[in-house]
Amino acid sequence: MTGRHGIDRRSLLTSAALGGATIVGASALGGLDADAAFAAPMPSLDPAASRSSFIDGRVSQIKGSTLDVVESDGTHRLIQLTNATSIWKLETVTAEAIETGDGLYARGVEMPDGSVAADAVWVNIVNLYVTVRGIERSRLHLSHGRNALVGHIVAKRTTASFRGGALTSNLSQLKIGHHAQVLGAWRPADDSVDIARISVGH
Amino acid sequence: MASLTTNLATLLLGVLLAATGAGKAFGRQAAGQAAGTVLVRVLNDGRRATRVLRATGAVELVVAAGLLAAPTTVVPGIAAAALGLGFLGYLGYARATAPESSCGCTARSDGPITWRAFVRAGLVVVGGAAAAGARTAWWTQAARHPVASLAFLLVTTAVLAAFSSDLDQLWLVPLRRTRLRILGHPLGAGPDEEVPVAASVELLERSLAWVAAAPVVRSGLIDHWEADGWRFLQFAGVHDPDDTARPVTVLFALDPRATKDTTDRPAVRVTLIDDRTDEPVPVDLLA
Amino acid sequence: MACGSTSLWAGETSWFCCGSSWGPCGSTGTGACGTCQSGKNMAAWPNLTAACWNVTNPAACGENMPRRGCGSVVNVKHQCSGAAVCVTLADCGPNTQMWCSEQTCCNGSCRTHRVIDLTPAAFSAIGSLSSGLLPVYIYE
Repeated sequence: MTGRHGIDRRSLLTSAALGGATIVGASALGGLDADAAFAAPMPSLDPAASRSSFIDGRVSQIKGSTLDVVESDGTHRLIQLTNATSIWKLETVTAEAIETGDGLYARGVEMPDGSVAADAVWVNIVNLYVTVRGIERSRLHLSHGRNALVGHIVAKRTTASFRGGALTSNLSQLKIGHHAQVLGAWRPADDSVDIARISVGH
Repeated sequence: MASLTTNLATLLLGVLLAATGAGKAFGRQAAGQAAGTVLVRVLNDGRRATRVLRATGAVELVVAAGLLAAPTTVVPGIAAAALGLGFLGYLGYARATAPESSCGCTARSDGPITWRAFVRAGLVVVGGAAAAGARTAWWTQAARHPVASLAFLLVTTAVLAAFSSDLDQLWLVPLRRTRLRILGHPLGAGPDEEVPVAASVELLERSLAWVAAAPVVRSGLIDHWEADGWRFLQFAGVHDPDDTARPVTVLFALDPRATKDTTDRPAVRVTLIDDRTDEPVPVDLLA
Repeated sequence: MACGSTSLWAGETSWFCCGSSWGPCGSTGTGACGTCQSGKNMAAWPNLTAACWNVTNPAACGENMPRRGCGSVVNVKHQCSGAAVCVTLADCGPNTQMWCSEQTCCNGSCRTHRVIDLTPAAFSAIGSLSSGLLPVYIYE
């Protein structure tokens, strides 16, 4: 896994990209005609038929680049991580960051042996409606449903969006009483959440 | 001690029922609260559920007034105990028939009914029974044994607060607000207002480049770095022009300072690199 | 039941979890219809029932989507990439009124208001869970 994140790999990719990239931008194409696109007929799809597989479960064992995941009904599924698998755990990470006991969602392609070769894995990811009940330097006190929840502010990771604005690391507009959506990484050890982004509505 | 408990139970229960009753009867969120409860299913009507919730609040207020104003009479205590029994019955019914009555959208009243709710209703029954036995008015009791009374009130209030996260609203949140006002916002703008990587990804995912590359990209973000004034975002994909699927690295590069607030049509460099040869794949994604 | 191709609505979608799973999702339950599972292609709709409508109150944002009950299937398509997923309605949500005037765009064309919420399985079929919001068209 280290190879793809190595400095050598990055500089090789950088020079390849700066040498012969296609620039796609403002003037390349006009905007899509959204209304026409909406009116255009859609091919029929079936809810049961899906090209990719999806797994929701908890990591019970890690063997090299294979994760043994238990789904909520007790079924064991094997997930294969490859160089082409993206792994999210508060931020983009490598496979070493995954621990036994973590929860995960994985999207991938089912192999003939029943395992899933993962395209993308999101570890401990949660997306919760909360109300801000307290603000401290390193954490927020939140309520989620009837439960109190601690949201940790992680330096250089936690971002916020106010009224649909771009994500910023400046959280100074946050107020007690705000209703917000928190996308973050759950911490199994103490049931708190590391905040990746907090979005505040109107 | 027993007389202290029964005599002060009227005060405690009176204040508690006054607070919860006022919340139900006059709270602006009562309609939303009612909609999330099993009342809606029982009454089959959201508006009627709201009216029932408000009426319950009014009854709580009346009982509270009785407890506070006429503490040595038996009726308010019995009424409070009956109210508590009613809550217990309702909770039991709700738990039995709709243990997961919820709406995936509200943060307030959804989720299963917790044991804390049962303990709270149980405390109202016990408190009501105790209040019915009060022989001395709470104000006389407090004047006679001020220290013991104060200690008793503090302990029981702490116990009640522990069983009710709703009460956080009454004391903890205002306390935190005041602290923010006095000490200032602890999350001031940092000195380096660097654009977070998440903001660049957000901008990318709203761009024409992303739309053009969507059929190729399979993974989420795999790596990111900055070089030569560009922020590089690396994804994995499969390029399948003529049924000869080959794994590729999909590399996007964009202005590290750009966000969706500064532009809605960013210029993005897109490169496909064959993972087996490490050579760029010549392809016109917009074709 | 197959998903149809008649335009129904358009707006933003987010994602939510349901069914007993891990973390804060362990206590969410199986939703208003009693069938919701994070790992299946399902969705929450703001006008699932009258009681649901009272909670989500999309009218506060000027959205008056029609009633569609538990078990209805709709096709949710990313406005720009064209990726689509067919989902079964299984819960009430999102809380549209809390996000009036919020918009999500792609390539300069925007959709406003949260009009549907997808399970992680469904959302990840048309976008990345770590992005949280997508502009979509909904067909039935």
